[in-house]
Amino acid sequence: MSILILMKKGATNRPGRKKPAADGTHGGKREQNKERTRQRILRAALQLFKEKGLGRTTTKEISKKSGIAEGTLFNYFKTKEDLALYFFQKETEDLIKWFRAEARLQKAPLPEKLFAIIHRQLEYIEPYEDFIGAVFYRSLQPTSTLSPLSFESQELRLKYLRFIREILAEAEEKKEIPRLGGLGAYAVGLFYLGIVTHWLHDGSRGKGKTLALLDHSLNFATKILNTGGWEW
Amino acid sequence: MVKTRKGPVQRAARLVKLGASLAGSYLAYRVQRPFLGQERAQSRRSALRLKQAKKVRQELQGLRGPIMKLGQALSMQTHFLGSELVEELSALQMQAPPMHPTLMRAQFKSALGKYPEDVFRSFDTEAFAAASLGQVHRAVTKDGEDVAVKIQYPAMRETIESDFQALRAAGFAARVTGHLRESVIREVERGILEETDYVQEAKNIEHFRQALAPLDFVRVPTVHQALSSDRVLTMSRVSGLPLQAFVKTGPDQQLRDKLGAELSRLFFFQLYRVGALHADPHPGNYLFNHDGTISLVDFGCVKHLKPEVVRCYSQFWSREWTSDAKLYREIVRVVFGAKMSPEAPHVRRCLTELKRFYDQYHPLDKTPSELDLGNPKFMDALTELAKVLMKNKFLSPEFVFLSRTESGMCNLLHILKARVATTQIARQWMPPL
Repeated sequence: MSILILMKKGATNRPGRKKPAADGTHGGKREQNKERTRQRILRAALQLFKEKGLGRTTTKEISKKSGIAEGTLFNYFKTKEDLALYFFQKETEDLIKWFRAEARLQKAPLPEKLFAIIHRQLEYIEPYEDFIGAVFYRSLQPTSTLSPLSFESQELRLKYLRFIREILAEAEEKKEIPRLGGLGAYAVGLFYLGIVTHWLHDGSRGKGKTLALLDHSLNFATKILNTGGWEW
Repeated sequence: MVKTRKGPVQRAARLVKLGASLAGSYLAYRVQRPFLGQERAQSRRSALRLKQAKKVRQELQGLRGPIMKLGQALSMQTHFLGSELVEELSALQMQAPPMHPTLMRAQFKSALGKYPEDVFRSFDTEAFAAASLGQVHRAVTKDGEDVAVKIQYPAMRETIESDFQALRAAGFAARVTGHLRESVIREVERGILEETDYVQEAKNIEHFRQALAPLDFVRVPTVHQALSSDRVLTMSRVSGLPLQAFVKTGPDQQLRDKLGAELSRLFFFQLYRVGALHADPHPGNYLFNHDGTISLVDFGCVKHLKPEVVRCYSQFWSREWTSDAKLYREIVRVVFGAKMSPEAPHVRRCLTELKRFYDQYHPLDKTPSELDLGNPKFMDALTELAKVLMKNKFLSPEFVFLSRTESGMCNLLHILKARVATTQIARQWMPPL
């Protein structure tokens, strides 16, 4: 069975599905086991996406690779988008944990901090470029779970925005940039989406053009904010 | 003040603005460079110039990549710019860090597949020098050897290529420069693009290390192939100070003369025995030692020379064309093309000016003690010569890097205040006609 058929089924089943825990490290033993299973499925699926591409991977293969019965898979992920959402939850958790542990970065100037964060995100998704490309395109559809307007992705988005807002607030405190209020984090979020779009289309050696664009734009934006371009 | 300017100066002023708006555009600079001399001539007051120079340096320091290269190239052009500006710009050569540690690591990994700390025993995340289109870091290999690691700013090749494309599409080259031929622009592009390929540079280093072995005063680094790629170049570390810093340590005249003679020998040896030139003569690429040795770094820009070009160029030094009509015609053919009449007035004017300049500063029959290249008039005369030649279309693509290297050498000799009988050294290596 193709994963695309899974998606259609998932769409009709959505009201009855269980919401995956936002953070698998909490909860009882039962929840911990569930989390482990989710990760096993994700790992197997990502591996297959990488080898065969998104469209050609079947549920049967994911089931076989992860050692989870086909019927059980549905209890965890109704659609490929659910799988993607879970992938991004893991990504965001990893990002925040990693950033907090980087002692040197805490003292770095804001453009470097943001560069490090976005670059880390790109590094995380880099092995799954095809998968991300397909998911990214799909997320633009209003009915998608991944759409910026969907309820399912709200929690993840807020987590990311809060994290960025904290970093911007520190920079405001240190007078690196003027006060931006809540808008700053949204701007960074949108900027990230723009960078991912560029990254997906970037055919330069080692995606060097994206690195350069990221560096130039962050420096440029900081400069603009500080020279009063913000006061309009 | 800008509004009253006319002709090329006005165009140059506009180009400067264009360069600024293109933030990262390299060619805009390359094209406007010939006009900078006139820009300078407009502003006479030294204090004002110093203020401008500081501002230029501060602006450049905030930028990266191609603009960084621009700063270095500018600082080399002593003869086009005021000394105040050159002094300010020389601060750029060894200090400005164009990539922050996170970007540097990202770029390193993109080029070699691993982070620096995975392949080196220790790695200094702060750059110690700005290099062609990138920056240089100190590191120690797993075997314990001190090395310099040159890392290129991301997407340099693509940036430069699109710069050239944009300029071509807009017809800028022809419109703005007028006297610059398309073939000259192509040659500049070839040279700059070659600098973005560190695999080529590694080959150049190996080639030059072997070829320059007969000169016992020259030190050339060795390349660590396993720790290098097209955008990262790991080399053994060589000793020495860049010229400005070296001069400040107060070397005596004897040492200055010795080093000056060595610089000349290095130039002519490359010309006549190697057949290729280390063609990026900005002062940061030559490191001077008190034991009289010179370390040569940065082989990104190497120009291989055609024999007829070398033969023709030799004539500027030996001046035999003045009594040999055949030689004269050959010079005209190589420089101006086969269709040009040897009797055309602008051709005559160019060669007369050349002879006058070389007779004065590279005379045929004077001893070193009678010569002083620290003479302030020396660089002014070179500027004048460059202007006259430029105006009279004396610009064969084959000569772009050759004359750049020669004026670079003259600049070094000038700052060094060396007394060198350049022509005698030239003749020592010059093959018989």
